[in-house]
Amino acid sequence: MTTIELDRPARRSAASLTFIVGLILVGLHVAIALLTLVWTPYDPSSTAGGRLEAPSLLHWAGTDRLGRDLFTQIMIGSRIALQVGIGAVGIGAAIGVTIGVLAAFATRLLDDALAAAFDILIAFPTLLLAMLVVAASDTASLWSAILALGIALSAIVGRLTRILAKRVLQMDFITAARTSGTSWPRIVVIHILPNIWPTLMVNFALQFGLAAIAEASLSYLGLGAPPPNASWGRLLQEAQGTVYTAPFGAIAPGLALLVLVIGINLFADGLRDVGDPTRRRSR
Amino acid sequence: MSLLAVNNLAIATGGHDLVADLSFAIEPGQRLGLIGESGSGKSLTAMAISGLLPPAIVPRGSVTLDGVEVIGAPERKLNKLRGAASAVVFQEPLTALDPLMKLGRQLAEPLRRRFRREGRDLAGIEAETIALLERVSLPQPQRIANAYPYEVSGGQRQRVAIAMALACRPKLLIADEPTTALDVTTQAEILALLDSLVRDLGMALLFISHDLPVVSTIVDQVLVLRQGRMVETGPVKSVLGTPTQQYTQSLVAAARAFDTALGAR
Ligand SMILES: Nc1ncnc2c1ncn2[C@@H]1O[C@H](COP(=O)(O)OP(=O)(O)O)[C@@H](O)[C@H]1O
Ligand SMILES: [Mg+2]
Repeated sequence: MTTIELDRPARRSAASLTFIVGLILVGLHVAIALLTLVWTPYDPSSTAGGRLEAPSLLHWAGTDRLGRDLFTQIMIGSRIALQVGIGAVGIGAAIGVTIGVLAAFATRLLDDALAAAFDILIAFPTLLLAMLVVAASDTASLWSAILALGIALSAIVGRLTRILAKRVLQMDFITAARTSGTSWPRIVVIHILPNIWPTLMVNFALQFGLAAIAEASLSYLGLGAPPPNASWGRLLQEAQGTVYTAPFGAIAPGLALLVLVIGINLFADGLRDVGDPTRRRSR
Repeated sequence: MSLLAVNNLAIATGGHDLVADLSFAIEPGQRLGLIGESGSGKSLTAMAISGLLPPAIVPRGSVTLDGVEVIGAPERKLNKLRGAASAVVFQEPLTALDPLMKLGRQLAEPLRRRFRREGRDLAGIEAETIALLERVSLPQPQRIANAYPYEVSGGQRQRVAIAMALACRPKLLIADEPTTALDVTTQAEILALLDSLVRDLGMALLFISHDLPVVSTIVDQVLVLRQGRMVETGPVKSVLGTPTQQYTQSLVAAARAFDTALGAR
């Protein structure tokens, strides 16, 4: 008893600290991404400095092979990473939650088929699946990358949703709601979605990080957003040839990706406590 | 015509009858107690009346509720019947309430359906929610409406669950061991509350319990169930006062022994 009482405030404040640090790191990226819509230190395509300059007061992250400001490119990369994260998770959530909830309600046969389909899709590495989708579309664009990652993520979301929804469906309060005449669609909206939402939100946040990494990988492989979109993956790929002479070209975008992914994981960790009122209890 | 007529009801799973040959009727405003030891099929009977048996459990025979044949009825038809014709109060109010939904909002759900049914203005729902919480004698109804289930006591949760059943204004209230999960003092309060509500609102009551003293305070008629079969039925005084069947006698004797033990303490 006593240990639990003593333990709880400490763990709670650790959880909220995680959440706040995560929020700051993600918020930083969001702020930078929004800033690029109105202002960047240099015009991203202008060769404003010398070639492969080291970081300096003029060029905070140095310059690339053509003399373009790297910090500007990384800022724009932030915007692209967030665009891809939001887009892919949005698509993955919309498809995944819908199919997952339907599977939870489906007849035995259809449910088994959908569960198997999720498992097969998940067995494919996300990146491989996304590469297949991009390869299947005619031209590589930012949107084909987002769509590809969204479809790949939807299987993960779908499987999780199905399991969570089935668990909630077993609960007494669902039967209780049915005895007073609550319709199935209404039960999904007021009982099932709110009860699976906290867990889904944490998962979405983690997938957001996954999507950011996957997009960088796609771009690195030349399957992501084509130029002039300065994706971090493409920056990494371009810096590859000069990694010994000008390592900052690879370090800077890598660091930006790392900060975003760590921030999102901390944020997701902290989020676990926010969605659940039984854990929000302050007494 | 009876409000509820159960005729030769059998409830089976995997070719094995969990309930069989069960027939009884409840007239509007009448109160029937369904008693029997744990596992005798009381809850299954209640679920069969609501048309909510699990998929693997199949009913046969006939259950007519408010003029509608429940067995074999399509889901749409059943869902219209639920709430309007019958509502259920369960044993364990903690699990019968959604943990993530404020009590006021949960109560507003069945209210909204009744308001629609009766063609009433939905703007009155909030006031009616508070009025219902007051009706089940909850102190500070405003605070309770804003609380989550885990934030109130077991007795208060059961009062909210009763309010939710009342919100439907059913012709038949089914109470499946509504006091079993509560302490003795709270039990007595909840029983008195159910008694007065059923009387004031003119509802019929199907009261399910394994606890004879509890049943005898609230119903007029009882039906004794054993292993899914009816053993005995009749007015509460004669069945429990002078039980003719050995099973009922043993139930009564057990209840007496329990009472004596409590009294001797
Ligand atoms: N979902 C189920 N599947 C199989 N058997 C069940 C199920 N629910 C109840 N039973 C069985 O049916 C019998 C009656 O159960 P129930 O109606 O819950 O009894 P009680 O009188 O205690 O309410 C019990 O033997 C129980 O094991
Ligand atoms: Mg029972």
